[in-house]
Amino acid sequence: MTAPLLSVRDLRVTYRSSAGDVPGVRGVDFELGRGQTLGLAGESGCGKSSVAGALLRLLPPATAVTGEVLLEGENVLALPPDRLRAVRWTELAIIFQGALHTLNPVKRVGWQIGEAVSTHQPSVSGKEVQRRVGELLEFVGIPARRIDDYPHQLSGGQRQRVLIALALACSPSLLIADEPTTALDVMVQAQVLKLLQDLQRDLGLAMIFITHDLSTLASVCQRLAVMYAGRIVEEGPSEEVFEAPAHPYTAALAAAFPVIGDERYRMAPSGLGGDPPDPRVLPSGCSFHPRCAVAQAECPTVDIELRGAGSGRRAACVRVGAGR
Amino acid sequence: MSSPEAPLLEVHDLHVTFPGPHGSVARAVDGVDLVVRAGEVLALVGESGCGKTTLARTILGLERPRAGEIRYEGKPLDYGIGGLRRYRRRVQMIFQDPTGALNPRQTIYEAVAEGLRVQGSGADEEARVVSALARSGLRPPERFLQLYPYEVSGGQRQRVVIAGAMVLEPRLLVADEPVSSLDASVRGEILQLMLGLVRETGVAILVVTHDLGLAWNIADRVAVMYLGRIVEQGTTEELLSDPKHPYTQALLSVVPEKERLEPQILTGEAPDPTRMPAGCRFHPRCPVVQAGEAARLGIEQRCCGEDLALSPVRGAQLGSQHAAACHLLE
Repeated sequence: MTAPLLSVRDLRVTYRSSAGDVPGVRGVDFELGRGQTLGLAGESGCGKSSVAGALLRLLPPATAVTGEVLLEGENVLALPPDRLRAVRWTELAIIFQGALHTLNPVKRVGWQIGEAVSTHQPSVSGKEVQRRVGELLEFVGIPARRIDDYPHQLSGGQRQRVLIALALACSPSLLIADEPTTALDVMVQAQVLKLLQDLQRDLGLAMIFITHDLSTLASVCQRLAVMYAGRIVEEGPSEEVFEAPAHPYTAALAAAFPVIGDERYRMAPSGLGGDPPDPRVLPSGCSFHPRCAVAQAECPTVDIELRGAGSGRRAACVRVGAGR
Repeated sequence: MSSPEAPLLEVHDLHVTFPGPHGSVARAVDGVDLVVRAGEVLALVGESGCGKTTLARTILGLERPRAGEIRYEGKPLDYGIGGLRRYRRRVQMIFQDPTGALNPRQTIYEAVAEGLRVQGSGADEEARVVSALARSGLRPPERFLQLYPYEVSGGQRQRVVIAGAMVLEPRLLVADEPVSSLDASVRGEILQLMLGLVRETGVAILVVTHDLGLAWNIADRVAVMYLGRIVEQGTTEELLSDPKHPYTQALLSVVPEKERLEPQILTGEAPDPTRMPAGCRFHPRCPVVQAGEAARLGIEQRCCGEDLALSPVRGAQLGSQHAAACHLLE
């Protein structure tokens, strides 16, 4: 078996604050093969964006990041600055959330994409850069004649497409999309999702897709990892995880998205009581137990690790495996 | 629920326009008829730019219509200062972003009490604030009174906003995307709260949203808006299980849970309300026209040249209000 494209081992992110250390990610492991798609789901503050930040080493300098992030066998966390700059964009690129503010408002969009190309491939001529930028724009569904437009001349969906073109500028093998469709309208969201799916398939890109919208992930990603309080609490093939969750937290998240036409959801919105825990004072035992509808006597004391929950699936719940 | 003869709110042939660039006119709301009955939840659904927020703001008296009228309990809206103040005791708003809707330097008590003070209903202020907080699920309410918005979670902030609206015991809440900025887990909790308020207090809710799942969760009826006009309306069951307008069908097909439908992803974004297309305003993006089906059926000329209003859906059950504006259905 060949080595996976990305292998994350015991990743921990601790933010430093004047009020003390705040654990953002508390030991995350996962692997991603070439051309595979992984969805990372969870509520605000669960650590999903911290994972993305750690993979690209974009977190504030004082943040403590430990563990291993092996990209093509190279530990990203230990790369010297020069090599890190080369790896970003050419191997690993990110599409940020809040896309509408990521572009520079006073530079033409073509220039912004061209800058990424020429920074990483200084030998390429200006004319060649222009040609490549036009190609990239066409590739994401924007006419090449819009190359000299400023961001404000484009709609929200078009700006998101420009950001996708920007991320693809140096042909990365892994794309991280952090809430890429959250600020977009339904129909535009569907357009952008379809574009990402097509690109992923046509270019054989590996993709990590981050959002709180489990239903979107289930339809876009092969595998799904659900995070709670800085850890992965369930992982497996996305359809299976969404349709038949093993962890009660996943079940609550999945139920938050009603199936239209299904009588069980009619006039019966479903949510999860309580709020995500404060990372500075995590509950004892399983950190989900105070909000868990099926918590058992041992849950406040047993800090459960991920364990096998059927073929290719893992979940961190006492009811999994032994309890069944 | 009251009889259909006495709707709580009626909107008749409403037109709202804004000046556009180069002397053009944006027809944001372009001939809308709508009824909200006491105690019902009506979802107003559509894409960004379709005019749904302008319609909601006009219903609240925040925008003046160019033509048409709004009637509350049968009487035309009085735009005088006193008239609007009395109206807003009965009709309250819940905004999309609870963080932006709350003053960061006001305590939760002050935020909820503000409506009472504006309305001059000062007596037993504290008791009413406490009861509104409790009814909005902030329990025990005393614990929240002196907190500032940043000290509570996003879901709790939206509950504070709802308490601020409910403290006046309104008959109608206009909620503009009340859960779109919230986490999935919190979303269901807030929707449960809204549904509970309807059942306990008989308040009606007009909820503006792009989320059809939300409509299935809480709405009695749905109205679909496209480019300033309602293009289809009916009970939630009728409209979501048997949508008639190609636009509604497309919206429904891109909901991720709807695996069994082939997604009909419309190209482009909602068009420019300063340049309203001739004929059916949806025809430039309509899959039926684009696929040539309209031409085969011999209706393409009408799609491209003949404007049309809502008409009852044929074959619908007796007493149904299912109506759509599409040449295909005539």
